[in-house]
Amino acid sequence: MKKFISFLRPYLSVFVMRFRIETQYRGAALGGIITQLFFGLMLVALYKALYESAPQSIPLAQTVTYVWLQQSCFRMLLSTDTELMQSVRTGGIGYEMCRPLSPYGFYYARALAQKLVGSALRAGPMVLCAALLPSPWGISAPAGLWQFMMFLAALLLGLLCTCALSNIAMAFTIRSLDMSGITGMLNLLLVTFSGNLLPLTLFPDAWQKAIRLTPYAQLLDAPIRIYTGEYTFPQSLETLLIQLFWTLCLGLVGYLMWQSNQKKMIVQGG
Amino acid sequence: MDTVKLYLRSMKMLMRCQMEYPVSFLLNTLSQLVMMGGELMAVLLLVDRFQQVGRWSGSHILFFFGLMTITFYLMECFARGITTFGPIVQSGSLDTMLLRPRGVLTQVCCHAVDPRRIGCIAIGAAALFVGSRESQVLWTWKKVVVLLESMAGGSLLITALFLIQAVTCMHSIKSVEMVNVFTYGGRSTCQYPIDIYPGPLKIMFTVVAPFALTMHVPAAYILDMPILNLPAWSAFLTPLSGLVSFLIMYRVFQHGLKYYRSTGS
Repeated sequence: MKKFISFLRPYLSVFVMRFRIETQYRGAALGGIITQLFFGLMLVALYKALYESAPQSIPLAQTVTYVWLQQSCFRMLLSTDTELMQSVRTGGIGYEMCRPLSPYGFYYARALAQKLVGSALRAGPMVLCAALLPSPWGISAPAGLWQFMMFLAALLLGLLCTCALSNIAMAFTIRSLDMSGITGMLNLLLVTFSGNLLPLTLFPDAWQKAIRLTPYAQLLDAPIRIYTGEYTFPQSLETLLIQLFWTLCLGLVGYLMWQSNQKKMIVQGG
Repeated sequence: MDTVKLYLRSMKMLMRCQMEYPVSFLLNTLSQLVMMGGELMAVLLLVDRFQQVGRWSGSHILFFFGLMTITFYLMECFARGITTFGPIVQSGSLDTMLLRPRGVLTQVCCHAVDPRRIGCIAIGAAALFVGSRESQVLWTWKKVVVLLESMAGGSLLITALFLIQAVTCMHSIKSVEMVNVFTYGGRSTCQYPIDIYPGPLKIMFTVVAPFALTMHVPAAYILDMPILNLPAWSAFLTPLSGLVSFLIMYRVFQHGLKYYRSTGS
């Protein structure tokens, strides 16, 4: 046990350091919250108008809740680590590799802190604001107590999953040096199939079965569906298992990619 | 005339720079194309599920989406420098620009070009074409004039909105995220016709940032579906609001430059 803790300690301190850096930018977070609130309101207005002309099997309140949760946790999905990108270009990454740590673990801890702080700073106030809005506009309460507990667990798994995904994207960046091409594609997949662009619940019904199994659906879509009470208890458990499966899978793939990167890496002098 | 020549020349040079890396350029254009395709897919899926929004059918929505996409990305393609004003201030490039015997705005426009956006423009054009065909628009020369006027007015309006961002940038050094409400927020909001939205949003995008006047009134004229209780002839006049917004923001920008303090280096 003691050995395990001393093994984890450096990663923990990376996390804490990053956590402190991220909490420095509280002013930026306020601007972000207002912007994101506006986008949320605009989307709700759009869906309200759409529902007025053609009512759907999924109630409006559920879609509105979906939109608000997606908007509040937006930061969890997209946050490209520009510092890493730069260190890839400048060659600074060579030094990072010299550290007596697994670079995968190092960047995983970094991404985790970045995403956790980025989204927590915004999600809290945003959900509060959304809860204060009048009935068709605001976020609904979770379907029940166990749904809420499971939602939190699913959100945590989603966070671990998205960190694994962003580490894969970084591994691609290190390999190709050019960040905009492949990461652009990965970001597109992320935005489309995580339900940020359009709630996954509004995708064609025929797609629903397949779409909720993709890794992207595990990030925010799965927790939100548990929150709104769309799933029964066994279904929610199943969802958590799917999330766990993808987190482990993506973690393994990312780890292997970083491992092979490390072997093949050429630092071009300078 | 000199300014136009200068602009065209730097465009040519910047394009040549981009073409030095043809593979990267192609990949980037492709990824932009796919990204825009993703947004188009979201609109198509919504239209497929809901069939109509208010009194607008799916093909009308497609037309609005196309018009907004073309206009927005035309502006982003050819006036890229304005959308990236933050780094220009932060890096101190603005100081060098102030020393040169040309207008700052000209230089900012000449600063960067983003030909990758051609992918986005292509998607927008396709949506506009399909939308107008499915809505059975009978094209007359009047409608063509209105369409071109709307695109020009819209581009000027979006430029004006990005200038707000530029002005706040000069003051606060960091680019201010909140202005995105007008620029990118305006794009996402106004790719759907304005009259489906509740009052405050309507006022915001008709009076404050007149997307409705520059785009929706002309588009409604082309689709023969009057909007905002305005007579048909108004479609020829309302896009001018884009020009007015631009002129106002241009003055504010020039005024702001007087108070600019360098970040030093």
